[in-house]
Amino acid sequence: MGAIREAFDFSDFPLVERIGFGIFCLFLLAFPWLGMDSFGMAVMIQFLLFSLFGMGWNTIGGYGGQVELGKAQYVGIGAYTVAVLMVRWDIPYWFSMPLGVLIALGYSFLIGYPLFRLKGHYFAIATIATSLVLQDIFINWNFVGAAKGIELPIKGNTFLYMQFTNDTYYYYFILAYFLAGVLYMNWFRKSKLGYQLRMIKIDEEAAESLGIDARWCKIKAYAIASAFVAVGGSFIAVYNLYIDPESVMHLELSIMIALMAMLGGAASLWGPIIGAAILVPLDRYLGSWLGGHKELMGVDFMIYAAIIMFIAAFEPRGIWGIVERYRGRRT
Amino acid sequence: MVLADAFIQGILMGFLFALISLGLTIIFGVMDIVNFAHGEFLMLGMYTAYCLSISLGVDPLVTLPLCGAVGALLGLVSYYGLVRYLLRGPMVAQLLGTFGLMLFLRYLAVFLWGIDYRMIKKGLLVGKSLTIGPFHLDMTKVVCALLSLVAFTVVSWIIFKTRVGKALRATSINREAASYMGIKTERMNALAWAMGGITVGIAGGLLANFYYIYPMVGLLFVMIAFATVALGGFGSIKGAFFAGILIGILETVFPIIGHLLKTSIIGPQYKMTIVYLAYFLVVVFRPRGLFGWEQ
Amino acid sequence: MAFLEVRNLTKDFGGIVANNDISFSIEEGEIVGLIGPNGAGKTTLFNCIVGYYRPDGGRVIFRGRDITGWKPFQTAREGIGRTFQLMRAAGELTAVEHVMVGAFLHQEDRVEAEREAREVLAFMGLEGVADLYLTELPLAIQKQVGLARALAIKPVLLMLDEVASGLNPTETEEMVKLLKRIHREKGITLFLIEHVMEVVMPISEKVIVLDGGVKIAEGPPEEIAHDEKVIKAYLGEKYARGL
Repeated sequence: MGAIREAFDFSDFPLVERIGFGIFCLFLLAFPWLGMDSFGMAVMIQFLLFSLFGMGWNTIGGYGGQVELGKAQYVGIGAYTVAVLMVRWDIPYWFSMPLGVLIALGYSFLIGYPLFRLKGHYFAIATIATSLVLQDIFINWNFVGAAKGIELPIKGNTFLYMQFTNDTYYYYFILAYFLAGVLYMNWFRKSKLGYQLRMIKIDEEAAESLGIDARWCKIKAYAIASAFVAVGGSFIAVYNLYIDPESVMHLELSIMIALMAMLGGAASLWGPIIGAAILVPLDRYLGSWLGGHKELMGVDFMIYAAIIMFIAAFEPRGIWGIVERYRGRRT
Repeated sequence: MVLADAFIQGILMGFLFALISLGLTIIFGVMDIVNFAHGEFLMLGMYTAYCLSISLGVDPLVTLPLCGAVGALLGLVSYYGLVRYLLRGPMVAQLLGTFGLMLFLRYLAVFLWGIDYRMIKKGLLVGKSLTIGPFHLDMTKVVCALLSLVAFTVVSWIIFKTRVGKALRATSINREAASYMGIKTERMNALAWAMGGITVGIAGGLLANFYYIYPMVGLLFVMIAFATVALGGFGSIKGAFFAGILIGILETVFPIIGHLLKTSIIGPQYKMTIVYLAYFLVVVFRPRGLFGWEQ
Repeated sequence: MAFLEVRNLTKDFGGIVANNDISFSIEEGEIVGLIGPNGAGKTTLFNCIVGYYRPDGGRVIFRGRDITGWKPFQTAREGIGRTFQLMRAAGELTAVEHVMVGAFLHQEDRVEAEREAREVLAFMGLEGVADLYLTELPLAIQKQVGLARALAIKPVLLMLDEVASGLNPTETEEMVKLLKRIHREKGITLFLIEHVMEVVMPISEKVIVLDGGVKIAEGPPEEIAHDEKVIKAYLGEKYARGL
């Protein structure tokens, strides 16, 4: 199918980048055999997961230009669907994950419709509000375990429930999602919707004059982002084997996701990956180093915050934006 | 009777909400930026009152001017150090920038004071109550409400009756035209941030008299402030005042209604949800709020 | 049945009546100009037809369908294209990509859309700049790309918003030739709002004049040029009396 061909077609990237990415992929594939400790493995898994989140956010936040700060609620939907279905009815991952994605899609269309009547700051604040509302509901909803959360029963090694005793399996699992995500985004940025979104971002009035229903396009992109993020959420459920509203749905998560994409360079394919590559290790290593120094608690976030402010003030297009300015070409 | 009591409590809190939101609406009115760090300014005002009253051994109310000063300082430093640069960029950058400021200040507080909850225990008004008819009112809250009213009056007077205020209003209506008239818009921006900072710093100082002080408290109140400003109309001082009171009433009366209707779905745990919902509804169905301009 | 019919159109901006009971019609294949002094209500009328504003009174009927109050993307899908006075360029899309977005209205396939876009650019003599980013192009070329973009949606009625503003005499001549070509080779009906008489008068078959929100004249260019009311609107009482 044409779409598959498009997804694998990276020809509009300069050769240097294609080779670079190819090498990176080889590195990713070989990683578990490079003798990293379990902490390093965990960091890589986290990196791949957040790249996935960031790429998803990118559809509406980057290409669409609508900064939204409520993605965490969809992580929650993805995670909780898998968790609840498993704990209550013993349903395998491969049924619950798609269901979670469907719920995420449905919910995103539901709230997307009124949400996209807003623009700019109002929109951003509203996305925060919706996420906080859902979190509040989950904290008080006994069906999903309320504030205590859900502990998934340990099932040993099983592909049916996607639980493993060896982190290497989880690694390849998330890597598969990551690569699928990259291919999808590669297709997306060249697709009709991708172009229409960018037109909307540049000049919404002009886009409308070309027959584009801007609101509907934004909702579609928002739904796609939600689906991406829900898939990631489902992974968290089977990886952590414990979820609660605080850990999968809180505001900081939404911010981190948006931040990662923007730091690396929103509206570009590599941006979210670069952003994740910087922030995730920073978060993990800094966090563990600071863990030993209780008196420095809070410094890690202060550093991210400083990075954010710096990027916002001087290079809003992120790191990849700097690269693109150099080579004069946007992809 | 419980309902009436909640009503009064709501109004009292509402005065404070209004004061908290005043700064946000001024800044937005003058330069179209939403200060996500607004809640953190409030939080730092609270900590100022706390630290000063403890270390100097004075009544927290005495620290109010200093809280205001700290707020003003925060506002000015934020403007000259960050916001000035953000204004040059796309809106995305502005959102991101003030967000970063929010995180920075919040975790600065974590670093300086840890995450423990603190409370001011000693004070002229702490623990005293005023009885009017059948209502028992917390003395601190009454005084805070009154002081908030005073602050509102002063700010309104400045904005509507002085030359500087006129310049500020001119800048918020049409920045370009104002600069042609010789108004230094840069200074107006900084002034807006200073005023925003003072009011919210004082609000923090007042709030500290009866509310828990902890680094995350900013998030809670900033959402209330957003809802208030949206309801009142972004940029409208009158709007912030009335909307603040409305939100205050909404927030306290709502759980009581649930209690009266004997349903646990409507309860205090959803206090914030109703505020968010209010924001959402206002902004979708009447974007300009009660008194704001046409969008 | 007229191609585009505007009946008793009124638009009131809370006290300022920008369009007051305006009626006229355009036949298919015509080139019609809309002129009038500043503030006459031309842009408002334009926006009411295109859908950016909803009229307070009257109707807009296009090819037999009542499109009053339709949103801009709906009128675009119905076949009404438009250009913009101000092109908002960003360094994100190249010229051909801009035009592709137009082609995507009736084209799902990217490769096809790109081919169509390049065709339109070639038609306008812009193949050379196709792969440049819009921000890299001078303003006049940007506007031409905007025109190409509007053509890419294959409109049957093209509304041109001051397409000749800011052009020097040579460029103006080129624009006139271009508009004639579009009309002739693509069979598109043209409706121009213009200030630049050197563009409107030579090519319009009919000219409508607005002043103060009201239609004051309608007819062939030669008549309009000598119409007393029109001269008075532009130049004042004295010149109208033939001074």
